[in-house]
Amino acid sequence: MNTDVHTLSGAYAINALSREDADLFRTHLDACPACRQEVRELQAAAAQMGSAESLAPPAGLKARIIAAAERELQLPPSVPQVGDRSERRVRTRFPRLLVAAAAVLITVAGVGYLQMRDDATPGSTLSASVVRVFESPDAHRATVETANGGKVSVATSPSLNRMAVDTDDLPDLKDGQVYQLWAIADGDFASAGLLEDPDSGAAMTMPAEGTQVAITIEPAGGSVQPSTTPIVSVTPSAV
Amino acid sequence: MSNEPGLRLVHSDERADIDVLLGRVARGDSQAFGALYDEVSPAVYGLARRVVRDPTHAEDVTQEVFLDVWRQATRFDSSRGRGRTWILTIAHRRAVDTVRRSEAHKRQDHHGALDEVSHDEPADAVVQADEHGSVRTCLETLTDLQLESVRLAYFNGYTYSEVATLLDKPLPTIKTRMRDGLIRLRDCLEGAQ
Repeated sequence: MNTDVHTLSGAYAINALSREDADLFRTHLDACPACRQEVRELQAAAAQMGSAESLAPPAGLKARIIAAAERELQLPPSVPQVGDRSERRVRTRFPRLLVAAAAVLITVAGVGYLQMRDDATPGSTLSASVVRVFESPDAHRATVETANGGKVSVATSPSLNRMAVDTDDLPDLKDGQVYQLWAIADGDFASAGLLEDPDSGAAMTMPAEGTQVAITIEPAGGSVQPSTTPIVSVTPSAV
Repeated sequence: MSNEPGLRLVHSDERADIDVLLGRVARGDSQAFGALYDEVSPAVYGLARRVVRDPTHAEDVTQEVFLDVWRQATRFDSSRGRGRTWILTIAHRRAVDTVRRSEAHKRQDHHGALDEVSHDEPADAVVQADEHGSVRTCLETLTDLQLESVRLAYFNGYTYSEVATLLDKPLPTIKTRMRDGLIRLRDCLEGAQ
């Protein structure tokens, strides 16, 4: 059986497996370091075959792609999972984090939504995708204070099915730190990306009903799970 | 702009190291992202054109690939292979997904016709590096069945069972030919370096 599965490495390396077969083979790969190595080598050979097809892309594509990338958040790096010290630390403090997040939520509810700053949208450093959400005719907007003495404005637009955060008023961080966005559903934190440049804000697809969005301060490069208490947490569907 | 040769930026002897550029892209460096695009986009676009055929779809694939690279550069691990391989693997998967999604692929009835190994060079083809010459040379060392299996899967986006049907061969044969064909290509390319 195993030797049979093993021979799928070629087809897997060039994406010639059906979804089911690919899933099956991936399970096999998890347990077979030699197979992973073989797949990498065959992918490298296939990549050279692909590179031999080089063709100059149309002019203008580069500018479009760079403009599109500027509107996209980057994923945080994956941090080694097994036996990693910081990982364990996060797990043990996780319940406390949830309590803290809940506390911030209550604070947010208590403060209520501040008035939207008049100058918060146009003519600012915000990226176009953020401004689009803030300026959409059906936008709901709210501004909340953060635990570290800043402010974050949130806008949601049902017609665009997007939300955006204006993070221009977050305090500057020390070198080696970064703001990280999280989506919290059923108590699980999933990274929504890094705010490498808080001045430009961030926009994303509207999260599912009841999902909360939080911001933490993380070491540069981001974290797999929050390592600090969120400075702010909001429920976009309630904005 | 001036045409004075003295003002032209000249590439240094060292090719821009894609792995180094990826490291900078992972830290949000959009200038490095532009340099990475210059370095890899002909390969990505050329492969996309070859697989999806339609120039507009190929542009879309290229854009998706580079946005994937932008978002996921933080996850690139140079200990698990070269950056170029990583990007081309993403490109191939994206291109194949596009082909499999398209209605044309489902109804295609002319796929019995196999392409020639050397296809027409478009007028705007970029200068082929030596590396590309060795790919062609190495592909010639494959048996006909290995070559057809690999090429139908890689360039036409067929699954190995579709390739088996097309070539009227048993599944295990095609599965094995794809693997030993790629192994032969790998070994030949390693020898060529």
